[in-house]
Amino acid sequence: MLTSRQLQVLSVGLLFVSLAARADVALAEVVLADADLQAGQAYTITDHLSEDDYLGDLPKVLTVSRLSQSIADAPSAVTVIDRATIRATGAVDIPELFRLVPGMYVGTNAGYVYNTNHAVSYHGMNTAYPGNMQVLINGRSVYTPLFGGVKWSELPIALMDIERIEITRGPNAASYGANAFAATVNILTSTPSETPANTALATHGNGRNEAFYRHAGKTGDLAYRVTTGYRQDDGLDERNDFKRTRFANAQADYQINLNNNFEFEFGLTEGARGEGNAGEDNIVFLPRTKQMNNYYGLARWKHQLSETSDFQLQAYHSYDRSDDETTSVNLRPLIALISPILAAGLVSDSIYINNEVITERTDIEAQHIFGLGANIRAVWGASVRQDTTYAPHYLDNKKTDRFDLQRLFGHVEWRPHAVLTVNTGAMLEHNDFTGTDISPRVSLNFKPHPNHALRLGISSALRTPNYVEEKFNQKYAIATTLAAPFPRLVLQQVLADKGNVNPEQIISKELGYVGKLGDVQLDGRIFSDEITDVIRFNERTDFTVPAGVLLVNPTDVDTGLNSGSAKVEGLELQTNWKIGTKTNLLLNHSHIRIRETHTGLEKNFTKSMPVNTLTAMLTHDFKNGWDASLAYYQTSESTQLGDGDNVDLIRRCDIRAARKFNTGRWNGEVSAVVENLFNTHYEEFADYNTLKRRARVNLRLDF
Amino acid sequence: MFKIKKIANLLTNFILVVGLFAPYFAHAYTGVTIVMASASDTNLEFIDTFKLELINNKSTNFRVKVIDLSEVEKLVVAENSELVIALGVKALEASSKLKLTTPVLGVFTPLPTFNSLLANSRRELGNFSAIVLDQPYSRRFSLIKTVLPEAKNLGVLLGPNSLLDVEDIRDTGELAQFNILQESIRQQSDLIPHLTTLLEISDALMAVPDSLVYTRETVQPILLTSYRHQKPVFGFSQSYVRAGALAAVYSTSKQLAKQAAEISIKSQQALSILPPPQAPKYFSVALNYQVARSLNIQIADENTINKKMLALESQP
Repeated sequence: MLTSRQLQVLSVGLLFVSLAARADVALAEVVLADADLQAGQAYTITDHLSEDDYLGDLPKVLTVSRLSQSIADAPSAVTVIDRATIRATGAVDIPELFRLVPGMYVGTNAGYVYNTNHAVSYHGMNTAYPGNMQVLINGRSVYTPLFGGVKWSELPIALMDIERIEITRGPNAASYGANAFAATVNILTSTPSETPANTALATHGNGRNEAFYRHAGKTGDLAYRVTTGYRQDDGLDERNDFKRTRFANAQADYQINLNNNFEFEFGLTEGARGEGNAGEDNIVFLPRTKQMNNYYGLARWKHQLSETSDFQLQAYHSYDRSDDETTSVNLRPLIALISPILAAGLVSDSIYINNEVITERTDIEAQHIFGLGANIRAVWGASVRQDTTYAPHYLDNKKTDRFDLQRLFGHVEWRPHAVLTVNTGAMLEHNDFTGTDISPRVSLNFKPHPNHALRLGISSALRTPNYVEEKFNQKYAIATTLAAPFPRLVLQQVLADKGNVNPEQIISKELGYVGKLGDVQLDGRIFSDEITDVIRFNERTDFTVPAGVLLVNPTDVDTGLNSGSAKVEGLELQTNWKIGTKTNLLLNHSHIRIRETHTGLEKNFTKSMPVNTLTAMLTHDFKNGWDASLAYYQTSESTQLGDGDNVDLIRRCDIRAARKFNTGRWNGEVSAVVENLFNTHYEEFADYNTLKRRARVNLRLDF
Repeated sequence: MFKIKKIANLLTNFILVVGLFAPYFAHAYTGVTIVMASASDTNLEFIDTFKLELINNKSTNFRVKVIDLSEVEKLVVAENSELVIALGVKALEASSKLKLTTPVLGVFTPLPTFNSLLANSRRELGNFSAIVLDQPYSRRFSLIKTVLPEAKNLGVLLGPNSLLDVEDIRDTGELAQFNILQESIRQQSDLIPHLTTLLEISDALMAVPDSLVYTRETVQPILLTSYRHQKPVFGFSQSYVRAGALAAVYSTSKQLAKQAAEISIKSQQALSILPPPQAPKYFSVALNYQVARSLNIQIADENTINKKMLALESQP
């Protein structure tokens, strides 16, 4: 594990190496330019094209596995956030981009634990630890096994390296595997060969500073990219939620020959996070600073078996650690309220908690994609995964717990007729928590005209309970020196999971339309999702208190269990209007209602999704390299679950202006962003998060 | 065909004048020597078809000899007895140094390279010609029109070689009712930024052969970036289509051999002066259906497109 000091040395070193390399290039250019002047138009034969340029073999770039289905043929609703859109939003954090996705809710800085984390969910049911989406970065699953969600700010990735983000709205276990329950976020970075040689980027703003440096190069058949960065965010007022993060990542692409290539990725993050807020828990988890670090490595072999058949083998390992030690306040005065004798008999004034959490994931996946004739395309594969979790405080166990998962999946796209595409697939999964399950799907796409397609689909997925729901055993205990009849232990039990929680199931039915009307691209759908065996936390009535133990909260011991069913229904609309060549208007809307179809749901469950969300973004290219964008985000009232609260209607307006420049040698952009332009002090996710106006300036240089 | 036509017109006048001195080297040759740098499949297929075409034509009785590049220097050609067909740039460069009385026809040679070889040798067009690899722009535009009738704005990314063609591309493009959008680069590091700028405003990208822009190394970034912009690429070779371009018009070895055989026969019968360098006469169309489907482009099969293009070419 590299320390922060080593990281700094690494990034400074890289900067020097690249500057030195740059100097060489500059020199070579000067020489070349002179040579050009002297030689005039006369090129030597070596400058010229040979028959090889026309007849020579080329590596297949858009292999069957790289070609995605056209959105008109895809089995699900998809939102694509490309590089241009990312740039136009002026966002500095990945989750902020999901405000563009109809049906998604984004809450800044949620909850009490991991409170520097954004809470992102699709179709409500949002908690501070939402765990019902699959999130992949270049095919690597990044949700934590602990609560099934993503610690967004801890991903070793820079926004500038992202080429596009594809969000599959709705369940898609057949294609994306475990946790592809409510939606799937697929983050794709640009390949090293597309990256400029050197990029430096710096941002300064209200409570936010960041700097990144990236170097990309090519030696022979090896193309690589290295990015390092530092982010510092002071968080919200009145919250102890600062973030300081250093990271580095590398991506390499090695073309062995025409039919084989290797891809490698490495990344590491290290940083400090503010945790705990005065007023939330002023007994145990007091305001403190938490250290975190993580790393990962990935290798992928792509082998082209034939013109229409690819094989891919991928393996990755990731490690994530957070270090959180805390000592409670003096507990004697509090216990004295119950019994002064008990208070006097406590072995110590306070309790010490080591809440270190280490999770690791190892995953190996093989997949084979092939065409059968002109009208059938199929993919099938298998994967094995092992997640390990060490969380002595949460699991009340100093041993590392192991979770194994095996998966077999297949998907067929069949085109029986020029206007009809049938997609069908299934995933068979076996895991340690819930045994063996199958998630099938089928959809029909009817395309009577190249510009108009209708989609009718039904898809199912299962969400395996995460560690919080299945295995948490979180408690605070303090021993006494007293003899019977006095208790020898005073215990506050927060969670005592019973285990054996069944997977939550979703069956989603939808009717969608994808088309083009003049210059307007339209993507709409109506859907009805039935969610059964909803997992919630409820009082554990059968919790038995061992003899000699005093339980201070007998009615407040919770466990994860299945309770209730819900129906989520509504419509989503995405429009993208190209007004001439310079202007673009993006307009997304969702209208969603949740109802209880079987009692037992958590209170406010049906209010957890804002009924209406609206996003509009207008971008315009002015003359002389100037461009600007104006974004408007509106979310109606909702009640967020798990550490969240009732939050009112939110209206937010962002503005961004940028000026591109190119001096020949230096290519870049200066931009300024104001978030929440009208400074409406609105609450997001919970009443303890108040968002105000924030502004930033940004400079980017490509050289 | 436009560029070639222009050259052809100029050359006809030129040749008419030169023709007055024709008797100096106007003798019928009796054999054909094919020079190749390697026994590649492309070259071997050319030779087989070439021989077959000659056999099929009863009026001639050529000797056909195939020699290796290393043998060119040793090649002693009896005065005016041989036509040399050079396969590829290296073979053509070596053959250009043969006695001036030996006519040399290059095959598998890009037009700019042919021009440069011509300029660097003491040869003249009457005894030095080629069937170039470059398809006429008019034909390339007609492919784009046929495959993507809605396309209006066509992007071309040019480098030092292809920049010389810019006017021709523009003129021919306008005739075909395309709006040609152009970006040019002088170093490879400019490739992606300029390509991105171009893709943002173009409906499709037309690749123009260039030793800086379209190489084995740049094929991945070019095709990936274009694909990410959901813009099809029209290549200039079958390999480019296999790699991920949507379509290309190209000529096979067999097609070039047929044309070479026709020239050999015609030139022997007439004055032994070679016709000016010419574009491929016969052509094929390569399409990438997987890419088309992924880009949601509905395309007809190769035969249909080929026929449509032939119909377009036969129009005045």
